[in-house]
This record gives sequence, C-alpha cells and structure tokens, in this order.
Amino acid sequence: MKNKEKTTINWADTFKTAIILFLIAAIAALLLAFTNYITSPVIAKQTEQTNTAARQAVLSDAETFEPVEDLDAIAQKALGEDASIVEEAYVGLKGGQVVGYAIKTTPSGYGGDIELLTGIASDGTTTGIAILSQEETPGLGARSTETAFQEQYKGLNASEEISVVKNQEASGNQIVAITGATITSKAVTRGVNVANKVFQALQAEGE
Amino acid sequence: MGKNLSILKNGLIDENPTFRQLLGMCPTLAVTTSAVNGLGMGLTTTIVLMCSNIAIAGLRKVIPDKVRIPAFIVIIASFVTIMGMLLEAYLPTLNQSLGIYIPLIVVNCIILGRAEAFAASNSVIPSMFDGLGMGLGFTMSLTILGMVREILGAGSIFGLSLFGASFEPVLLMILPPGAFLTLGLGIGVINKMTARNALKNANKED
Repeated sequence: MKNKEKTTINWADTFKTAIILFLIAAIAALLLAFTNYITSPVIAKQTEQTNTAARQAVLSDAETFEPVEDLDAIAQKALGEDASIVEEAYVGLKGGQVVGYAIKTTPSGYGGDIELLTGIASDGTTTGIAILSQEETPGLGARSTETAFQEQYKGLNASEEISVVKNQEASGNQIVAITGATITSKAVTRGVNVANKVFQALQAEGE
Repeated sequence: MGKNLSILKNGLIDENPTFRQLLGMCPTLAVTTSAVNGLGMGLTTTIVLMCSNIAIAGLRKVIPDKVRIPAFIVIIASFVTIMGMLLEAYLPTLNQSLGIYIPLIVVNCIILGRAEAFAASNSVIPSMFDGLGMGLGFTMSLTILGMVREILGAGSIFGLSLFGASFEPVLLMILPPGAFLTLGLGIGVINKMTARNALKNANKED
C-alpha cells in the first residue's frame, strides 16, 4: 500500500499545469501567426523594392530589367555543381539594347548563405556588386557590405577567375580579403566568379 | 520611486550583467568588435528585456511553478520574433543596422536570467525597471568593450578614424582573442575597484 502511495500522481494538478502551458504556447503561436500575416506582404514588398534598387545600383546603365528564362538549364550546362548557388538573372536593357546582366548568387559564408547581386556589362566588365542579405559576424564578415570592400570588384573582367589575397596589395584580378573575415571574402568572390560564368554562358547563348 | 531607482542602479553598476554576473557572454564576446555594434546590441537587448520582464511579471501568478522555464522561453522567443518581424516590415532602415542582433537575443541568457531571478517574483513596475537597468548596464559594458577594441584594433571610435593613416592597428583586438583579453581585464579592473571601495568602507567604520 505504501508503495502505491508514493507513485500516486495528482492528475488534476498535472492536467491543469499542462493546460496552462498549452494555452501560453497557443496564444504565442496565434500572436506569431497574426504578426506574420500582417507583416509578410509588407516585408515582401520591401524586399522587392530593395532588389529593384540593388539591380539598378549594380548596373546603372540599364533602364529596365527582364528576368532571364531557362536560367536553370543554362547554369546547369555551364557550371555543373556550382549551378546550385545561382538564383536569378536579369537582362539589363536600355532602349531595347542589352547593356548587361544582373545575376543573383547565394554562396555560403561564415554564418549562412550570402545573397549577392553582381552586375556585369555586355563587354564583360563587372559594374558593381551588392549584398542583399547576409548573416556574417558583425564587425568582421558583415563588413562585406561596406563600399570599400565592394568597390574592389568594380572593373574586373569576367573572363578571368578572381582570387582573394591577404596582407598584400591586389594585382590583376585579385581582391584583398577583409581582415579577420577570409571565409566571407572568399564566399563573396566565389559568388562573383559563378556570376561571371553564368554571364559567359548567357553571352554564348545569345549569339 | 526611490526603490525603482535603486533597482535601476543595481543593474547598471552593483550587479552589472557583464562585469559582475557574467551573463550573456556569447553576444558580449561576439559583437563587441566596434563601439557601434556594442551599442546596437545593447539597446536592442534592453527593449526586449523590458518587454519580457513586464510580460512575465504580469503572468507570474498564472504560470505554474513546475513549467515556468518552458513558459518563459516561449514568451521570450515569441517577443523577439514578433519584434524582428515588425522591425523588418515597418522600420527597414533600423532593421538594417540592428536586425542582425535580433536572432542573437533569443539565446541571450540575461533575458531568461532576469525572468527567473527578478520578474518571476516581483510586480510589473519594478520588473520593468529591472529590465531597463540590466539592459542599460549591458549596453554600457558592451559599448565600453567595443570602444576599447575598436580604438586598439582599428584605430577608430564609432567609425571615426582617430590616429590617421600612419597608425598600425593591433588586429588581434578585433579578432576573438581580443574579446577575451578585454573582457578579462575589464572584470579585473571592476573587481579591484570593488575591493578598494569595500576596504575604504570598512576603514571608515573602524
């Protein structure tokens, strides 16, 4: 009898505790769902605005942008494994003429995927890069969003592979890594290199 | 009101979360690479800490003791996520500079620590002041650490260059070892000051 008493559970109390915890979680879930319902269209609109502005910034010569169709197939053929980080590509047009491409890639950095937009003019010159989103370490990898770092890619040629150097001056198709953030610098460079290959494939396709 | 002010001072100095309680070490070590980062992380944490302390103090009689920890975690995580979503939707500029800290706050043990140590057993208004004091104490410590590391490691303060181009910064200071060095020395200085004050007070009484 004594043993049985030890293992007796106060069912009413346990039930009440479980219900309260359930209610707290349910209310939290409801609030989250509600906030998400309200904010997700606003966030989507803002992301779209940011993307349009970024396309304009990396390829300022273009007046309008049109998405490239069959991008997956083209990337797959030209890149093989690297095709998985190619997200979107836009043709930049000015008065009906193609002036270049804006290509979005998502290389993995130190803290997650980096959303990177590379602008390449028709002659193969990189016109600029923009980082749309990143989760790199503040003060180190997050400095990849600073102009000083991004300016390095401007004017580089798409036909040559870009490499990363540390503690020395860059020459030719080289860029200097951000101090303490070599992984991030290499990731961004990989994104630009892949975008360059996509550009070459798109050029070949167009001819 | 006097009581609330002493709660505020308690968080800022006497029980400073970073230098005295050694709470929230992950963000402390990770984001104090510059003064601005420390300030941003600190202020975002302060807001979340105040909100979660208020909510938990308000619900403290409803939440059964046995399941208080999961209940606190659900409340805190929801708060942080909702704040993140609102910030992203309506204050995109602020989100660009502070957004990166938001996911880090969920795992900041100061928030759960204060919920458990203070808000769970105090009413709403003192809990709010506790959140404000602890948050500002955290902000102050992070900004100081960030300033020291930025001056030594990058030769600038709040992004403004201090010494000109000839200055050779000590890179180590903005890399992870610099975080440990600065934090360790900071704790040492505070301990020394506390010990001296205690000695002075003891002498006065004699």
